Amino acid sequence: MNQGETDQTITTLDTKSAEQHQIVDQVHTSSYYPPNPAVVSWSTHGENHILRENGTLSNPSYLHDQRVEPSSRNVRDGMNVSSIASTSNSGVANVAQSYSSYATYPNTDPYGYNSSGYAGYYSGYQQQSNQYQPQSNQYQQQSNQYQQQSNQSYPQPVGAYPNTGAPYQPLSSFQNTGSYTGPASYSSTYYNPGDYQTSGSYTSGTYGAQTNLWHGGQYAEYNSNQYASYKPETNAAYSSTAAIGTSQYQQHYKQWSDYYNQSQTEVSCAPGTENLSVSSASNLSSVPSAISAYSASNSQLPAPYTLSWRPESSSSESTSLQTGIVSGSIHEGYWKQGTPALQDNYSNSQPPHVQKPLDANPTYGSFQNQQQSTFSHGSSTLYLVSPSSFQTISQPLDSRRVNKPIPTNPRIASNLALGVPKPDKDSTTASTDSKPAYVSVSMPKPNEKELSHDAADSVLKPGVFPNSLRGYVERAFARCKDDMQKAACQIKMKEVITRATAEGTLYTRDWDTEPLFPLPDANAVNKEGGQFLASISSSPKNKRSPSRRAKSRWEPIPEEKVDEKSTNLSYGTVKYGGWNKQFSAGKTENKENTFSTKFSFPEQKIQNNNATRLAKRQRLSNGLNAADGETSSDSDKEQSLTAYYSAAVALADSLEEKKRRENRSKRFDKGRGSRSDNNQLKAKKMGASNFYAKRASAVVVGKNFEEKGSRAVEDIDWDALTVKGTCQEIEKHYLRLTSAPDPATVRPEEVLEKALLMVQNSQKNYLYKCDQLKSIRQDLTVQHIRNELTVKVYETHARLAIEVGDLPEYNQCQSQLRTLYLEGIKGCHMEFAAYNLLCVLLHSSNNRDLLSAMSRLSAEAKKDEAVKHALSVRAAMTSGNYVMFFRLYKTAPNLNSYLMDLYAEKMRYAAIRCMSRSYRPTVPVSYIAQILGFANLLLTTEESDEKDVDGVEECVEWLKAHGGCLTSDNSGEMLLDTKASASSLYMPEPEDAVAHGDASLAVNDFLTRSLV
Amino acid sequence: MAAYMSMGEAHRRITEYLNRFYDAVSSQDGKSLSRLFSISSDSSLQFLADALNTFQDANRIIRQSESSQYADIIVPVFRALQSYRLRNLVESYLAFEKVANAFVQEFRNWESAWALEALCVIAYEIRILAERADKELASIGKSPEKLKGAGSFLMKVFGVLAGKGPKRVGALYVTCQLFKIYFKLGTVHLCRSVIRSIETARIFDFEEFPARDKVTYMYYTGRLEVYNENFPAADHKLSYALTHCSPLKEANIRMILKYLIPVRLSIGILPWNSLLDKFNLTEYNNVVLALKRGDLRLLRHALEEHEDRFLRSGVYLVLEKLELQVYQRLIKKIYLIQKQKDPNKAHQIKLDVIVKALKWLEMDMDVDEVECIVSILIYKNLMKGYFAHKSKVVVLSKQDPFPRLNGKPVTS
Repeated sequence: MNQGETDQTITTLDTKSAEQHQIVDQVHTSSYYPPNPAVVSWSTHGENHILRENGTLSNPSYLHDQRVEPSSRNVRDGMNVSSIASTSNSGVANVAQSYSSYATYPNTDPYGYNSSGYAGYYSGYQQQSNQYQPQSNQYQQQSNQYQQQSNQSYPQPVGAYPNTGAPYQPLSSFQNTGSYTGPASYSSTYYNPGDYQTSGSYTSGTYGAQTNLWHGGQYAEYNSNQYASYKPETNAAYSSTAAIGTSQYQQHYKQWSDYYNQSQTEVSCAPGTENLSVSSASNLSSVPSAISAYSASNSQLPAPYTLSWRPESSSSESTSLQTGIVSGSIHEGYWKQGTPALQDNYSNSQPPHVQKPLDANPTYGSFQNQQQSTFSHGSSTLYLVSPSSFQTISQPLDSRRVNKPIPTNPRIASNLALGVPKPDKDSTTASTDSKPAYVSVSMPKPNEKELSHDAADSVLKPGVFPNSLRGYVERAFARCKDDMQKAACQIKMKEVITRATAEGTLYTRDWDTEPLFPLPDANAVNKEGGQFLASISSSPKNKRSPSRRAKSRWEPIPEEKVDEKSTNLSYGTVKYGGWNKQFSAGKTENKENTFSTKFSFPEQKIQNNNATRLAKRQRLSNGLNAADGETSSDSDKEQSLTAYYSAAVALADSLEEKKRRENRSKRFDKGRGSRSDNNQLKAKKMGASNFYAKRASAVVVGKNFEEKGSRAVEDIDWDALTVKGTCQEIEKHYLRLTSAPDPATVRPEEVLEKALLMVQNSQKNYLYKCDQLKSIRQDLTVQHIRNELTVKVYETHARLAIEVGDLPEYNQCQSQLRTLYLEGIKGCHMEFAAYNLLCVLLHSSNNRDLLSAMSRLSAEAKKDEAVKHALSVRAAMTSGNYVMFFRLYKTAPNLNSYLMDLYAEKMRYAAIRCMSRSYRPTVPVSYIAQILGFANLLLTTEESDEKDVDGVEECVEWLKAHGGCLTSDNSGEMLLDTKASASSLYMPEPEDAVAHGDASLAVNDFLTRSLV
Repeated sequence: MAAYMSMGEAHRRITEYLNRFYDAVSSQDGKSLSRLFSISSDSSLQFLADALNTFQDANRIIRQSESSQYADIIVPVFRALQSYRLRNLVESYLAFEKVANAFVQEFRNWESAWALEALCVIAYEIRILAERADKELASIGKSPEKLKGAGSFLMKVFGVLAGKGPKRVGALYVTCQLFKIYFKLGTVHLCRSVIRSIETARIFDFEEFPARDKVTYMYYTGRLEVYNENFPAADHKLSYALTHCSPLKEANIRMILKYLIPVRLSIGILPWNSLLDKFNLTEYNNVVLALKRGDLRLLRHALEEHEDRFLRSGVYLVLEKLELQVYQRLIKKIYLIQKQKDPNKAHQIKLDVIVKALKWLEMDMDVDEVECIVSILIYKNLMKGYFAHKSKVVVLSKQDPFPRLNGKPVTS
């Protein structure tokens, strides 16, 4: 349970959401390693992202308003970072940042995120412009309501998830206890920086899933809140989502324990597995929620922050970037809100709490965000963010326990934006509609105060809350000095707002002049908080229509698949929107996403860090069954990837690696600083109206990221993955590695040498030998052995492959050999140069390749027998000199004749065509047989006549098969009637022709040849 | 030279550059603007580089100047200049790449095509810098990849230009730079997509492009056709390049001829010796002579002698194929001699005679091989007639037994 455990997976459903995630993720990214010593270092996998983000990038341009509130979020081990304090002007600064400019954050960044980290993630993205607009908040945060029933699950309304179902990714905030332990399971998860306040909305085209894993150790607490509410202005842009619904999501957080329970019950995942995952990766993030422009009535909410993003992408550009899937949508207002930590009153009894759908139990402390999503133009969006601390969401997809990122569909996202959670949902209501997803709230460590929230992206409808209210909230939060205060403040604020709502004065009151409430005593607030929350929860207002949402989500999906692997993820995410609702009747579940969220609670009773998760299931009704299949396969891949990465991560913890990372992050920092400055400037200059410029700057930024990102990938230190084998078995089957190699199954060099000998002397068939050789090659590769043994292995394999005509395998060997020879390792260089030449000659009609292969030959090589032979063969072939060709065939050194075999048929046919055209009136078949090298003539004419006859017979057969017209003269000698044949020759369909055009792939044929 | 420069002087130079930049942009003077980017070719910029090395805080000046809005462009320009001056070419390239990206951003926003010239200079510079950076990388054992990067950047630029507006005339220039990169990298297959859009997109009217670019374009596409052994097309393109190339640019003409001559040879058109001499294409002298004489040995020697050169330029295979024409010439000579002796039997040539003739040329070929050659000649329509296997005699057509190619390629 503890810190070590949690994973966060964030999935971004939409591109947008994805983007948000990314942001979060970015934080995580490998580059991430914390620049600031104080800061916890994250290890992020940039790679993962990158991998997943395949080629589609969409860059949305965003406007972001960010508000960072530095306040209490700490990322760090249990420490509150002073930096926070520095940054802690909540609400104060709205920074326009471009993503890249996160760096700007830095000001506020206590966390030491390196923007650089981002870069990696972003690389894929092009961002057009990021601008933040500060917005006054219209947030209502509802204070967190926890019910402390034994469970601490509260539903949160998460930021609106885009309808599309791209769900959303949760941010995870983790609390980590002090030291970062690389979780082995780490794979492919991204870290979400919980703290990270800015959630950008990005559209990442392919960016599918991100999982964040935090290792608790280092991060003390993160609060990550990402709420992105998107409003796509142009919905049309997204092709897929026709229906934009407003969706409301509530999330219930539960404690981990609860989570698990639930997950077991509801989630198909085996509980055990989940536990494992949990244990393996723990993400703790405590996010202080910072709401920008928060006027907080509550003085105690320490760090609520909301970030509002307005991404505006021009459709045209975005489309271009993306694979055309997403057309630029303009999103207005993304908000992220970090919800302030939830707090206090939670007892972490950690009673597992399972929520059952239809439970109207008050047990949920629900946070609700009231959000209304409107598609309204970006002008005003309101978010109600519930400051709940989120947690990481881990999704186990299919039984995998590992957190996997939830992919977001960009398209979906757009839709999602539409869906707004309505304010005041009760969990109960939600549950009735659909099953609630459970979020487990993780208990914070004792010392840590903050709750991390991940706010889902909530889209608020503009207009729900007056801007002035937002300002009010901001002001309130600005006063808070620490997390405790913020939390308290938040609660208080909720009261105020609730009261106002109840009184009907919410819109009428002049919030600008409304006096701020006195700063509440944090502790007191905490105590009360639970109750308060409960009360709030009681009035659920929002309901979703699950069916609608589901639909919208799904539509986009098919396209997404195309894009990426991430698609799997996307499915899962799709449903995201439903916080709690996992099931909609009549839907099939495609995936289950469990989100685990952890909240760190301020010091309170809770002493455990719990991660809360939401487990979700989604059912999709849309006949996208096909998707299921894919999903599973993908999931397999992912798993393997994850495992692989996890190993990598573990390695990464080494000192060396840390240094490297530091360097890396420094590098990123450099770029970031300047860039962010620019962006800030720009953002300030241009109002929201100036999209154009924003976009432009975003593009620039995006490019930079791209650059960086690619570099980051290069930086992966593969050497660190080298293993030293200990296996003593000589025989080993080849199995494609799907995880980091286990030294116990890898053979050291001496054993490999024996293995090679064994293969060479083996009487078994090619398939066996190929299998063995491949496993030897694999072992060599993972141990980074590149010496004469390596060359020998590849040479052996290449020769065997030539003998049986296994060209794909041969080509692999050849290309390896080329680099090995280039490194100066001795081997049969000339022999293989000749093979290479023949191969180029035989298998491509590309003159350029041939020329370059020829010009690469050294003068010395040209004197070599085999090479000379190959060159002569080339000359014979290019000039069509069949006589020469078949002579060379007979005298071929090494295995050259095997390669020539592959061309013999064509050469014969060309020769016969030529002869039938130029010879008159006849040609003796015996002559043809001799010239065209029919079988037994190989042994020269001095051999017995019988053999000659055999050759002739074979030639006759061949001629007949190719439409030659044969006659015989008086003496009985077979003749080819050239005139008649000239028009009747044809190239027969090869007997072993296969549909896919490559006969060597025909299993039966191949087996018959190689089983000899 | 400017080993030492005072701060004041340095400041003055930097300010001057900024002013020039601002003036060029505000007056939309593409030519002067383009000069400001000629990092590798404008020596006056080297002085600026010295100034920058003296005066470290150029960014401040930029911020204060009128050009500050173009800081995205200018800051990396300065960095590129400095690095270039210090012979740190990789750094220089990286900085210049930023320049290029930033400039393209701006360029996109400008409605008219006034800055086209500057964009062309940037396209050129980025290629040159990338090549040099790659050289530097290769020398320190790293993988040279900058040129490839420049290629993908230029692809983007091409996308910016390929539109309906007046900017489209710049597309061919960028295309040519791309060709240069791809040929250098040996990834000529990448040319195909660009060529397709140039040749099929309606927005492009080939005649509308500047002559300079048209010539370059035709030269490269002609070379591509040489690789494909599509000789008529290669002849057409290279001839176009030759006729439109400025006669003053002898080096360019020579480059064109280097490919045009083999192409023409293979379709049966021989150059004047004076042409070869004028452009110093002496490697072709013996090839031409061999064709005239039917001297197989001479041809083989010529190929061997210049093998490296021919392989590198990619005409080796083309020249090698001339062998058939040499055989044809040889047999024609035999035919003519026989005709002088006995016109009635001239159309029957014994295989032995040909073998003997080849022996005199020190070509050691046996009867079977020669038979094969003859067969191929007939098959490819270089000789009319047939071969009688039984009697080992070539029977030639009485009418035009050795047809001339006359600009048509050897049928294959």
